[in-house]
Amino acid sequence: MPEALAYDRVALRHDGAGGDAVGPVSLRLREGERALLLGASGVGKSTLVQAATGLFPKSIPGERRGAIRLCGRPVDDRTPADWADTCGYLFQDAAQTLAGFTVRDEIAFGPENAGVAGARLPEIVAEAMARAGIPETWSARRIATLSGGERQCVALAALLAQGAPITLADEPAASLAPVAARRMARLLLAPGRTTLVVEHKPGPVLDHIDRCIALGRDGRVMSEGAPRQILARDADALADAGIALPLAARLHLNLPDLIDPRLSLEEALARLPPGQAHRLRDVILPAPIPIGEVVLRLDGADCAPAFGPVVLRDVSLTLRAGEVLAILGPNGAGKSTLAACLSGLLPPRAGRREGAAGAVAFQNPEAHFSRESVRAEIEDIDPAPERVSRILDRWGLTAVADQHPFTLSQGQKRRLSLALLAETDRWPLLILDEPTAGLDGVAEAALRDRIAGLAREGRAVAVITHDMDFALSVADRAVLVGGGALRFDGPCAALMRDRERLSAAGLLPPEAAPVLDWIDRTC
Amino acid sequence: MLISMHPLPKLVLCLLWIVAALVVFRLSFQIALFAVATLVLLFDARIPLRRLLGLMVPFALFGFGFLTTSVLFRAESGFAVLMAQEQGGAPEVAPGLVLFFRVMACGMISAVFALTTDPGQFVRALMQHLRLPAPMGFALMQAMHMVPDLRAELLQMRMARAIRLGRPLRRVPTPPEALALAIPLLAYAIRRATRAALSFEARGLRPGRVRSQLPQAQISRADWMRLFAGIGGLALLLAMAPQGLT
Repeated sequence: MPEALAYDRVALRHDGAGGDAVGPVSLRLREGERALLLGASGVGKSTLVQAATGLFPKSIPGERRGAIRLCGRPVDDRTPADWADTCGYLFQDAAQTLAGFTVRDEIAFGPENAGVAGARLPEIVAEAMARAGIPETWSARRIATLSGGERQCVALAALLAQGAPITLADEPAASLAPVAARRMARLLLAPGRTTLVVEHKPGPVLDHIDRCIALGRDGRVMSEGAPRQILARDADALADAGIALPLAARLHLNLPDLIDPRLSLEEALARLPPGQAHRLRDVILPAPIPIGEVVLRLDGADCAPAFGPVVLRDVSLTLRAGEVLAILGPNGAGKSTLAACLSGLLPPRAGRREGAAGAVAFQNPEAHFSRESVRAEIEDIDPAPERVSRILDRWGLTAVADQHPFTLSQGQKRRLSLALLAETDRWPLLILDEPTAGLDGVAEAALRDRIAGLAREGRAVAVITHDMDFALSVADRAVLVGGGALRFDGPCAALMRDRERLSAAGLLPPEAAPVLDWIDRTC
Repeated sequence: MLISMHPLPKLVLCLLWIVAALVVFRLSFQIALFAVATLVLLFDARIPLRRLLGLMVPFALFGFGFLTTSVLFRAESGFAVLMAQEQGGAPEVAPGLVLFFRVMACGMISAVFALTTDPGQFVRALMQHLRLPAPMGFALMQAMHMVPDLRAELLQMRMARAIRLGRPLRRVPTPPEALALAIPLLAYAIRRATRAALSFEARGLRPGRVRSQLPQAQISRADWMRLFAGIGGLALLLAMAPQGLT
């Protein structure tokens, strides 16, 4: 197959940085091939993708060594804007990269730039909306009224309308609810499309991928091949490099005597002896933690964002010390508003809230930063140098301790914001809003342990997440938010097996659902 | 009626009314303009009275400055009288009162345009009919996106700050808090603008490139009729003012 995109010994360095952000890397993407670029947080995956059309270093200041070719032509032959007819981008944070004022404007933006005849544009817009599963009624909606996940769907429709033969997508499903994430994976990675996707978590896209390329912590290619092949061959090395593995590979690493890496999860479960259920349960479910006294009680509360209308009515919820609660629901259901109400930051419009104030780790970690370096941020918690070093080490921030917080990678920012709240004992209640967004496998495992540690210390923890497997692995209880009210409040594992209820809320069961079913059948 | 009017004739009409408010120094005329604009907002744009009163506050405060200068410090009112004379004659009543209602009338006419016009459609119309360069047009739209996002970001920063300081969220930020948040907010706006610019470029927008336009509503006969009706209404008000242009 002809070559669509080729990197030849490419190394990229940001202006003012002491070392290369990534590389030297050599890789090829062939026409019609769907490749997944894996790597830990901060290894330069996004920078590599931005260099494909020359955005780096033409628009993002930096230096490039090595050569990049797009459809056989050196990338420097054209400007990044000219390459839009060949290469379409789906950025990490669609909320900040949309151009139009309404959904219709946004989707038409690419074809307008390409000079497509005005009379054809309405048809192109309608078709792209239909393919991306966007209702026609959204056409005149203002972008500003859409939730983060909805904006990501609009960005997908805009990409489809642009019609470029090559797609580069940087964590496109990071803020999407599972059903929307699966639809995005299906559309972006349809057979025959030429796509390079950057993802921390290969799970939702793995079945649509022809080839995986894994970057090591040194920013060089450490493993390359068909997905099943590299997961069976290099699972240990990938995990060490901070890459989140799919469930079957993780189970194999934890239970090598029980799970054969060459088999699919269903096949491996079919061969398991029933007496081993407790070992599987220990891997996928959180260890039980004794529950203490009530930390917070919401009684018939109506929750509303600041200056906005009520989005959740009559919420009654009790949180106890040592409890980890997962808050689940589709995009725009009001989960973040519930978080602000639980913490006491926004008082309920009606009903009562009783209990101590809580802290929220916001979706945008930058909101938490106010100092000139990572070290200075940590020193605000405790200035003792040995405590600062310990915290930096525990959250994997030692190497970037003297950097400005805004210059960190998304995963590093997330870790710092969580460290700022979790490392003080001021808060009996902690609410983490999408804490796994931008985290790699190692950081996510560390976060899981840290949440369990906080609960064992006697704190109540609430976790808002779209990652159903993460929710299952940390939370013993879950609430489901949708349609302006709480739709479920009960054991997390029970909700994860309730496919009907999840489907009605636009959610999908976790990857571990078959394991839960197997445990239920054998016990 | 005005909501469905094409933005460009509406802009011309509102500008004509504002120009008339600036050149005619008659209290009755200023009150008439103010009353018409307020009635249009109330009954045509269906703006709730409470919101309308809220909108008037900044204009009223500004106009009140002229009024108090004129009424309480009579020695200073020479400025207003001089203004009136420069515009063609002596004022019929206290010049401060005329200036007060001029500010109110201009404010309400601006509000009529702002509250009955879709900003995206307006920028699109400027790009289509007045050759506003596309990079500038989309930068304007991005800036309009940014206003609500900046408000949300500011609220989140204030919440994060309240959490760090271990105190409840204040309804209104204190001056030191506002000052402390100014730089992070500016940094957010710069980063956001940079990301948007990169995205525009990656999606093919560049200065000088010939691009097409999503079909927009054209200026219809009904728009022309509304424009001429508005100009006619203005002429009528001018004619009804006791001394016309003074």
